[in-house]
Amino acid sequence: MENVFIEAATNIESPSIQKWKEKGGKIVGYTCSFMPVELFYAADILPIRLRGINAHSMEISDSYYGPFVCSFPKAVIQLAGSGKYHFLDGVVISNGCDTLRRMNDCWRKMGADIKGSLPSWFYYFDVPHKPDGHAFDWYVNQIKKLIAAIEKQFHVHISENKLKKAINAQNAVRKSLWEIEKLRRQSPLTITGTEAYAAIIAGTMMPVDEYLRHLNTFLNNIRNRKQDSADDKKKLFLGGSICDDFELVSLIESSDAVVVGENICFGIRNEKDMVSETDDPLQALTAKYLSASVCPRMMGWYKERADMMIKRIKNLNADGVIMQNIRFCDLHGTENGLLERDFEKNNIPSLRIEREYGPLTETGRLKMRFDAFIEQLKTAGINK
Amino acid sequence: MRPELKEYNLDWLFASTFSVAKNLANSSPGEMEYVFKYIPYVRPLLEPLLETGKPALTFLDLFGDYYTNIVNAKENGKKVVMTTFCFDPCIFYAVDNLLPVTLEIGTALTSLAWKRGSTDFMDYCTEIGFSETGCSSQRGAMGAYLAGLGAQIDLVALNMGGVCDTNANAYNFAAQYLDVPYYGLDYPSELTSDEARDYHHKDYRKLVHFIEEHTHCKFDIDKLREVLEEKRKQDNLMNEIEDMQRLIPNPVPGIYHIMIYAARYTYSGKKKFTKMLEEMVEIVRKNAENGMSGLRNGVEKNRTFLVYIDNYSYGIALYEWFEKKGISHLGNILSRTFAETAPYTTGIPGTAYRIDTTNFNTMIDTLADINARMPMTRTIRGSYDAPNMWLDDTLSLAKIYGADCCLYLGTPGCRNTWSNIKLLARDLESFGYPTFIAYGDSFDSRVETWETSEMRFEEFYHIRGLL
Repeated sequence: MENVFIEAATNIESPSIQKWKEKGGKIVGYTCSFMPVELFYAADILPIRLRGINAHSMEISDSYYGPFVCSFPKAVIQLAGSGKYHFLDGVVISNGCDTLRRMNDCWRKMGADIKGSLPSWFYYFDVPHKPDGHAFDWYVNQIKKLIAAIEKQFHVHISENKLKKAINAQNAVRKSLWEIEKLRRQSPLTITGTEAYAAIIAGTMMPVDEYLRHLNTFLNNIRNRKQDSADDKKKLFLGGSICDDFELVSLIESSDAVVVGENICFGIRNEKDMVSETDDPLQALTAKYLSASVCPRMMGWYKERADMMIKRIKNLNADGVIMQNIRFCDLHGTENGLLERDFEKNNIPSLRIEREYGPLTETGRLKMRFDAFIEQLKTAGINK
Repeated sequence: MRPELKEYNLDWLFASTFSVAKNLANSSPGEMEYVFKYIPYVRPLLEPLLETGKPALTFLDLFGDYYTNIVNAKENGKKVVMTTFCFDPCIFYAVDNLLPVTLEIGTALTSLAWKRGSTDFMDYCTEIGFSETGCSSQRGAMGAYLAGLGAQIDLVALNMGGVCDTNANAYNFAAQYLDVPYYGLDYPSELTSDEARDYHHKDYRKLVHFIEEHTHCKFDIDKLREVLEEKRKQDNLMNEIEDMQRLIPNPVPGIYHIMIYAARYTYSGKKKFTKMLEEMVEIVRKNAENGMSGLRNGVEKNRTFLVYIDNYSYGIALYEWFEKKGISHLGNILSRTFAETAPYTTGIPGTAYRIDTTNFNTMIDTLADINARMPMTRTIRGSYDAPNMWLDDTLSLAKIYGADCCLYLGTPGCRNTWSNIKLLARDLESFGYPTFIAYGDSFDSRVETWETSEMRFEEFYHIRGLL
């Protein structure tokens, strides 16, 4: 596995981030995959996805959030309150769900309580829950407002040319990620899910040029591999709530299985999941980030999401699906119930699990369920 | 689910219960006592309700009527739309062949009327895949409709996207499970800007198109105007009751609040709701003229403002406890209209609505504005051009009504308020309002028993020296 990806995927302040800061670079954190990161790259700012890894307690976040909310935003607040995000020059919150939206209130309040915990620039980016018509126009305007806010705060100019360059660079990343997805379909297997997922997460924590360089090296290495012993393992697809910790994938793979694909708010879903480089950049970004959404926050588009997932699962030749949701993540928790029904109709075995975000305190319980599911798949294979 | 529950249609049960109950007023005390022997669990609701006189009878008649119409919907060629409590149902009554069924009111009514409330239905939702941590307010009645124990649902329409995603997600689940069309109004995180208002108007027009498409009915302009004019009357009557609530002692009986908002979310724009409000105003006016408290024992010891909703999971035990202790219930967020004529909306530009019945377009814009200013969409959302709206609304209302303290009652399924209540409580305390956060479930008594809740309320009022 590439050490550079492991470092980026397991550390809030990875060496890449430290180097960027040492050179005087600005860094902005964001909370949700609906954020068009190209805007920041066009302003020479490093955008990083806010994560809650390595939060070992919740004593700060419990002062702001109540007990009945998802542990992911609580973990982010905990880290921010304990100074782990000291290197941020700004934060953009968006309304991924009720709890993430309310992070805006909680973090501001914490900023008043804990000196230095609120970055000097704290911005709210409003994402509609529909992909078209007036919602599309709203998102375009939100991008315009965000550009103006970045320019004002950081004294930069985001030109169309720079935006197009940033789009081009991100598309290059997406193409490489899609190459990885294709390699994950191959038999015999040459890559584990853990390796692939660590690489995918790392992309949200590293400068794009550096990331792309490592990603292409990684791709070449995989292509030159002969065969992985994982070939007789059960191939699984992973979906559900945010998971920015590849340890969950590792845990699944420790149970005689390999994760061949994910439908989580990281990475890429299909080869068309690109930003158009010929259309107007703002329209093109909106078409990609809003209209191509696969998140259950877009209520009313379940059938499209289910169809897309079923198609992907079949293309990946997955033997089964593990659907996970963080406790109190109702959006995924509920959608997983619908998916379970529809997977069954399509003869796709699935396992639903609910978990806590953060350190794998539930490792034993989860592993037991993964083992049982994989055993079922194997038995079903023998009986076929 | 208990097998006996499968023997009854939920809407029919409601229709029968309320239609029969309204006739109890014609009974002699002896007859009444005899009937109560057979309905021990409805008794705690009916007895205090009937004591309030005429409005109670209209309330029972209204709900008898509402559910009878739903039961007979198919026979009468009407479609049924599943909707949510903070959606103004006026629009549905302006179409000839459409009837709304409001889940949260159904869930509350089961708890108010029957032992165990709708817990079996809640669990049924979980059995078929719905998240067990999802809000109980929807899960209750929703389970009955998904199990085929209520009206056949033809479409789902609501207004919670961007306000309460958990709620919108529940209705989306129902639509997908039943395989019926879904339309959700979506709310940007702004309320007062022209851009946001334009968004609301465009989104609402799409809803109108959705309704027309799926009912094959065009909106009747005259009927829409009639419904909105009726709503205007209702808003004015509610405002009058609210205004009189400023008096000390408060002349409004606490139980009126739940009667008003339950009726408001099901019968907005309908004449029976107006009748109930007129009867209430008459009683409250008399109380006010005589300097009487709305409390049965007449002695007001404390005035409590509820910052979110009430608790329905133990019947009306909360209201009865307030009565026993001499606590005047000052309403909750669901009691407020946010019409521009409401006394408490003065001075907050863009956050109130105006009813304009000039033409079809102004009426549709009015409905869009109303729905963007319902208690949930307006106050609890925390729109980011008015980030402290929940706090500001609570503080202004608590001040206007002379509250001594504030209570938060809700459900563990409410991500929105549980992501914010600690901040609100802290701020309210800093402004001098002792604030209590209840951890029970307003729709599911299994989460916390009434005995435990009562003990916690006692402790709060005692320790903070509020009684």
